[in-house]
Amino acid sequence: MQRKSRVNAGVAAAGAVALMLTGCTGSGDTPDSSTLAIATMTLPQSLDPAEAMGSALPHFQAVYDTLVKREPDGAYAPMLATEWSYDDTLTELSLTLRDDVLFDDGNPFDGAAVKANLERFRDAGGGQAQTMADLEEVEVVDATHVVLHLKQPNPAMLYYLSDAAGLMANPASFGDDSLSTDPAGTGPYELDADRTAVGTTWVYTRTDDYWGEDLPYDEVSISVFDNETAIVNGLRTGQVNVSLIQTVDQQKVAESEPDLVTTPQLIDYQGLILFDRDGAMVPALGEPEVRQAINHAIDRETMLEQLRGGQGEITDQIFGTESEAYDPELDTYYEYDPERARELLAEAGYPDGFEMNLPRMQAISSDAMATSIRSDLEDVGIELTWDTLDQANALSSIFTDRAYPGMVMNNAQPAEEWVTIVELVLPGTFNLLGTTDDTVEETVAEIRTSPEGEGVEAAQRLNRHLVEEAWFVPFYRMRYLHASDGTVDIQPQSGMAVPSLYNYTPAE
Amino acid sequence: MTSFILRRAASGLLLLLVISALSYVLLSIPNADVGRQLLGPHAAQELVDARNSALGLDQPVAVRYLDWLSSALRGDLGTSWFTNADVAQAMGNRLPVTLSLMVGVTVVTAVASFVLGAWAGVRRGAVDRAVQVIGVVGYALPGFLVMLVIVLVFGVQLRWFPAIGYVPLSESFSGWLSTVTLPILSLSVAAIAGVSQQVRSSIIEVMGRDYVRTLRARGLPASRVVFRHVLRNAATPALTVLGMQFVGLLGGAVLVEQIFGLPGIGAMTVQYTTRGDVPVIMGLVMMTVVVVIVINLFVDILVGWLNPKARTS
Repeated sequence: MQRKSRVNAGVAAAGAVALMLTGCTGSGDTPDSSTLAIATMTLPQSLDPAEAMGSALPHFQAVYDTLVKREPDGAYAPMLATEWSYDDTLTELSLTLRDDVLFDDGNPFDGAAVKANLERFRDAGGGQAQTMADLEEVEVVDATHVVLHLKQPNPAMLYYLSDAAGLMANPASFGDDSLSTDPAGTGPYELDADRTAVGTTWVYTRTDDYWGEDLPYDEVSISVFDNETAIVNGLRTGQVNVSLIQTVDQQKVAESEPDLVTTPQLIDYQGLILFDRDGAMVPALGEPEVRQAINHAIDRETMLEQLRGGQGEITDQIFGTESEAYDPELDTYYEYDPERARELLAEAGYPDGFEMNLPRMQAISSDAMATSIRSDLEDVGIELTWDTLDQANALSSIFTDRAYPGMVMNNAQPAEEWVTIVELVLPGTFNLLGTTDDTVEETVAEIRTSPEGEGVEAAQRLNRHLVEEAWFVPFYRMRYLHASDGTVDIQPQSGMAVPSLYNYTPAE
Repeated sequence: MTSFILRRAASGLLLLLVISALSYVLLSIPNADVGRQLLGPHAAQELVDARNSALGLDQPVAVRYLDWLSSALRGDLGTSWFTNADVAQAMGNRLPVTLSLMVGVTVVTAVASFVLGAWAGVRRGAVDRAVQVIGVVGYALPGFLVMLVIVLVFGVQLRWFPAIGYVPLSESFSGWLSTVTLPILSLSVAAIAGVSQQVRSSIIEVMGRDYVRTLRARGLPASRVVFRHVLRNAATPALTVLGMQFVGLLGGAVLVEQIFGLPGIGAMTVQYTTRGDVPVIMGLVMMTVVVVIVINLFVDILVGWLNPKARTS
């Protein structure tokens, strides 16, 4: 009898614990409507604007404002700068600034702050510092007027001022490293240091006296996860409100869940960038026919089907659909035609193909992708060897040691074509060996010096030339999925995988 | 006992020093270009070199290690190269998560294993066979599968517990308990399967010894024989296994931390090791060594307390 009552007591206790646990789940962990819980796989290195990177921009948008705001469709709108205009030479950009904005310590945001920020961004050596390379100096006309003197016209200057370079921090905080973990801006939120665990979760709470229009959430938390399975489970249970889902498997899970609201966006493209177009490392790559042969050898449709579940669009161009340089015909310029590839190789003097090594980073080229590319190239006689590099050494092997003639990577396709031109076409980051030719020089010069909206023809001519000369071997634009737990409306940001912080509103 | 503890503490400190030097040198061998990783592909080479220099990476390894050691001895483990987070603070944020799992799994495993193992070892027969089957099945099931099933059933479908995330104990006990229950359950399945078999074998072995037969022949109640004498002697090997499992969870909980989105030490180790963030990795190595030393000491003391013969050895 005694034994039975003990058993009953045990069952009752277990039930009580279960009730307590289940009871607390709903209330304790589901964010309320005034909180926006964003899940991401991007780890920001620092909250200092000089170190800002595009994919971590929402962190910065919480605590800082940019000079120019970029609307979801890519249009520029006033923010800390209310008006802007270029002179006739396109080398002087005049900005009119707001006169009613204060930093947390009471210092005013003014022309001197703009000068201090932009010149610091250019000189501080952050990852995006090169976007201000054309900035000669900032002239402070008065507290609400500045003129940006440029070394040469830069059609993407407004884009950069709406991006990392345009984030305005309190100059009083310059001089030590405090901004990296203790941001000081004019933004709609402030970092809640007590509830933030750098590396895992950042919590931002609304500032009381924000100069602009309040964003709809009192609190924003951005948590970093290292896999999308956990993120999607969080979305399904309401612990995460919004996230970007990139893997096909988790996109399928998210789309099959009736409570989740998903918005697809075709954004980054995946492809092979050929650095060695002058044939310095692999002589064959110096021949346009060989590069064209590689383009014909890749079976893009099958790759898209096998690797991305058919979700995306094949393409042969580096410019995205929202760019003025975009030409829909160029998406299918190179048909999958191994026979034609072999002919082109023979014409170029490589009837038996050639050998090349390319770097492989697991995060970008999966096993399936590596196998697919290798077998497509092998089929036309090109023997590709993948050198597997670890994350810690990959960038230095490729960009510092310049050890490879090309690489597979994911690239954004911003609406502003000059950003793509600077990244991929001008000598520099992804044109490591500085390849150029007359058509490229001529069209780039024309685009650079054309007033806004007048460089379209030159941009399209440049695009067609790059495709014909096969500077790149793009595969496909990938479909990413913006997923919400149903409580938030997400407006994707033109040309960016990660929506701006301003693009989230409570669902009606 | 005091001199035993002091001796172990001294050898522990020496071990810390040796492992720290060894780890630092090994971590420096790949010679990763940290500046390039930090600044990305766009940055000019001069900027990359300047960043490497600012981090002291242009110094010889020995100088860097001594710098690190002198700071560490003053209690400053440095800041992460990649997130600028204070290393000690970052580990402090994450350690409670992993410790919650480690302690929880160990307690659940210890209780369940001793109950199941003792029951099987003493009763034998059908009960024994059932426990053995449970043991084999529990051990054979892949850990990730158990975790996925548990999170999908109890977290996503039934919503009895949160599917992801962690609530600190300091914030809410019920919140903490609800967030660690499923991960602990997931990790305990294989652990119970292993340790209960260990307990069962030890009990069967001890039950067959002469002194147990003598005690039973003297007419002592079976429960007293089991709880006072058999369990005490059979516990030693199981405690050693439990201790090893506890330490293993420090880095071995990666999968459960990933699936349940827990910001613990395991996930941190993977995240920072792949980037080559030396200050953070060194902090993690030091913490792991300290935990291993403390746990081994604790297990030795416990075994010595249970079994006086072990003290002399």
